Amino acid sequence: MKISKKIIDNLKKSGVDFYVSVPCKLLANMIDILEKDKDIYYSAVPREEEGMGICAGAYLGDKFPCIMMQNTGIGNSVNAIVSLLQLYQMPVIFLISYRGTPGEPVGAQGGMAKVTEDILQTLRIPMLHCSSVKDIDKIPTFSNHAKVVESPVAILCDFNLMKDDR
Amino acid sequence: MNRFGLLNNLQNILNDNLVICNIGLPSQELYKINDQPNFFYMLGSMGLSSSIGLGLSLSQTKQVISIDGDGSVLMNMNTLATIGNRAPSNYTLLIIDNGSYGSTGDQRTFTDEKTSLKDVAIGAGCKKVIECSGEETANELSKAIDDKNNSYVIISKINSGNVKIDPIPLNPITIRDRFRKFIGSVNYL
Repeated sequence: MKISKKIIDNLKKSGVDFYVSVPCKLLANMIDILEKDKDIYYSAVPREEEGMGICAGAYLGDKFPCIMMQNTGIGNSVNAIVSLLQLYQMPVIFLISYRGTPGEPVGAQGGMAKVTEDILQTLRIPMLHCSSVKDIDKIPTFSNHAKVVESPVAILCDFNLMKDDR
Repeated sequence: MNRFGLLNNLQNILNDNLVICNIGLPSQELYKINDQPNFFYMLGSMGLSSSIGLGLSLSQTKQVISIDGDGSVLMNMNTLATIGNRAPSNYTLLIIDNGSYGSTGDQRTFTDEKTSLKDVAIGAGCKKVIECSGEETANELSKAIDDKNNSYVIISKINSGNVKIDPIPLNPITIRDRFRKFIGSVNYL
C-alpha cells in the first residue's frame, strides 16, 4: 500500500486530477485509494482506447488526466494515441503496470512485455521506468514534462516493484 | 433528409454548446455549414467522439454534444456502457444513424441490418434514449439540452448520402486552442 500511495501522492502533487482505469491486480491498491478520494475524478472504463478518448476530453476541459492500465492496453490504443493525443498535443499520463517483467508468474504476459518499450519508443512517448522506490520520486518532474512538451508520457511500474505492495 | 440537411437544421442549437464532431464528412460538413470555435473537429481516431465528449462533460459544467455516427459507435460500442453508468446531465450523444459508412463510400453498416443502437444503448444502461427521424431531431435535441437532470442518447435516423466537400483546412492545434479558449482553459490567445 505504501508504494501505491506514494505513486498517487506524487501524481496528485503534479496536478493530476482525473483518472480512468482498466484494472490490473497490480493497480488494485491505487484504484482503492482513488475511489475514496473526493478531490479527484476516478472511474473504471471498459477499454483503454476509449479511456484515451475520455482523457482527451478531460484535457480539453482543463483537467490533467491519467489512464491506468496494463501494458497490454498500449496495444489496444495505438491509433488513439497517435491520431488524437499526439495529433492535438494533449498531455496525458499513462500509468502502466508492467506485466510480464521479472517476477511475473503468468508466462503469456511475456509477449507484450517484450514489445512494450519498443512500441512506446516507436510512438516517441517519453518513458519513466520505475523499478525501485526511488524511481517513484521522479514522477512529479516527469509529469510536469508531459505538460511542458504537450505530449502523452508513460510511467511503467515493474511487476516486482508492485507485487509486494499489499 | 441526409446528414448535411440535418446538421444545417441543428445550427442554432449547436452554436450555443460545446460540440465534439466525428471524423470525416460529419466534421467537414459542419465546418462548411457554420464553423465555430466551440466545435472540436476530429481529424483522426474514429470511434472516440462519444468518449471525448464524455470526458469533457465530466470535467466542466457547460453542455456538451457529441456528434457521432452509427459506424463509429459500432466501433466503440463499450462507450454506451460507460455513458449509461457515468454520463452527467450536461452530456448528450447524438448518433446520426444513416446505416452507412458515409466517409468511406457509403458501405452498409449493421444498423442497416439487424442491429438497433437504441436497444444496445438501453441494454447498456442509458436511461434517456430517443430514436427519431431527422426532421424531429432539432426538437428532441433542444429538449435534451433543456433537461438539467438527465443525459441523453439521441439516435437520428436519416438517409445516407453526402455532399461534395473539402477537407478542413484548420490544423489540429488551432482547433484545440480556440476550443480551449472558448471554454476558458487557456488565456494566451
